[in-house]
Amino acid sequence: MRTLYVEADTILHRLPPRAKLLALAAASIALFLTRSLPWLGIAVLIGVGLYFSLGLPMREALARLRPIFLTIVVVCLFNLLFNSPADAAVVLLRLTTLMLLAATVTATTSIADFIDEITVLVGPLERIGFLKAADVGLAVGLVIRFVPEILARYAAIREAHTARGLPVRPLTLIAPLIILTLRDADSIAAAIDARGFRRQ
Amino acid sequence: MPPLSSPAPPVYRAGNGKTRGTDLDIRFEGAGARFGERIALEPLTLTLTERRIGIIGLNGSGKTTFARMINGLTKPTEGRVTVNGLDTRDDAASVLSMVGFIFQNPQNQIILPIVRDDIGFGLKNRGMGKAEIRTAVDVVLARFQVSHLAERRAHELSGGELQLAALCAVLVTRPQVLILDEPTNQLDLKNRALVERTIEGLNEDVVVISHDLELVDDFDRVLVFDKGRLAVDAPPEEAITRYRELVA
Repeated sequence: MRTLYVEADTILHRLPPRAKLLALAAASIALFLTRSLPWLGIAVLIGVGLYFSLGLPMREALARLRPIFLTIVVVCLFNLLFNSPADAAVVLLRLTTLMLLAATVTATTSIADFIDEITVLVGPLERIGFLKAADVGLAVGLVIRFVPEILARYAAIREAHTARGLPVRPLTLIAPLIILTLRDADSIAAAIDARGFRRQ
Repeated sequence: MPPLSSPAPPVYRAGNGKTRGTDLDIRFEGAGARFGERIALEPLTLTLTERRIGIIGLNGSGKTTFARMINGLTKPTEGRVTVNGLDTRDDAASVLSMVGFIFQNPQNQIILPIVRDDIGFGLKNRGMGKAEIRTAVDVVLARFQVSHLAERRAHELSGGELQLAALCAVLVTRPQVLILDEPTNQLDLKNRALVERTIEGLNEDVVVISHDLELVDDFDRVLVFDKGRLAVDAPPEEAITRYRELVA
């Protein structure tokens, strides 16, 4: 199983996970409070600075961002089509900053820390009987855990197509990807049950 | 849901009872399982008390379903399964804490990517503090002489190391009995020997599903499954001989 966490000893790694998550939440809100292109430009530069300070090889650093960045580009194109170029630029800068900050937090926080912190942060909701904090923490952790797994699966299915001389088409890739992902999810659910985490 | 086709579940005799384990008592009382129309395991009645139990049979014969029913991962659609008197359906949490399960592919068992985090995962919901969990993880890693794996990433481990990490992740919760589903599957000779030695040295009761007949040939009791039913329940020598006849 691969992980998005990057082993290193940077200041960002040493920061408490809670501080990083709260800062990310605050930054997300702040980014949507302004439409100033210069400020948003500075925010992107800060994001770039933080993300590339982690010491990831450039190729891997860019590869990690590519799927999300492509989605952002699609959203911007829609904005360009139906709104103004200025609106599209605002969306591009906001979402790119968010992507960089979130990728930085994900790369400097282990999944175990994510689970612990999310569990603590939603604890008050459990006390009023709204949800089970441990389940929410686990769910968030598993989402992060599955991202590289799904990408690896996609690459393997693509490779299998090529090896068999089949044309690589998104539609023929998606069906086996969904099936394999659901099977993985089933295995993980069984493993979680087997280790008594949910204490049914 | 209509009842399973078998009218009266057969009752099997116990094995040779060579060694007794802990005071564990696993009972299948007319317990069977079906998935939709497909019968995964015909109803059977038996009691398991031996320390080392082997389960053999062809692929799709019902071995894994049987093992999953012991710790309640698969609930019986008919009859009941109890572990020390606790029903796997009504007392699922207690049964899960008594019965550890190592999956066929240890990759599927690893929930968190760093070995230490993954081993500590099962302890998180038990009200243990971080320091307490850390100590428990260190103890179990030391027990299998794999302390050096603590900070490693699971996907970087060899097959044998991964199997040991999976074993640690289950044993850290101190189950009374351990079920291992084809633990030497997909391992090279060196890793296979490592895992076999480790299983031999376990203090816990073990139920091992395996295609590796050598692994179970000195066990106390061996169950042979065939086409969703328990075909043979005997000491290893007899069970393995009859299994060979069955597949010949």
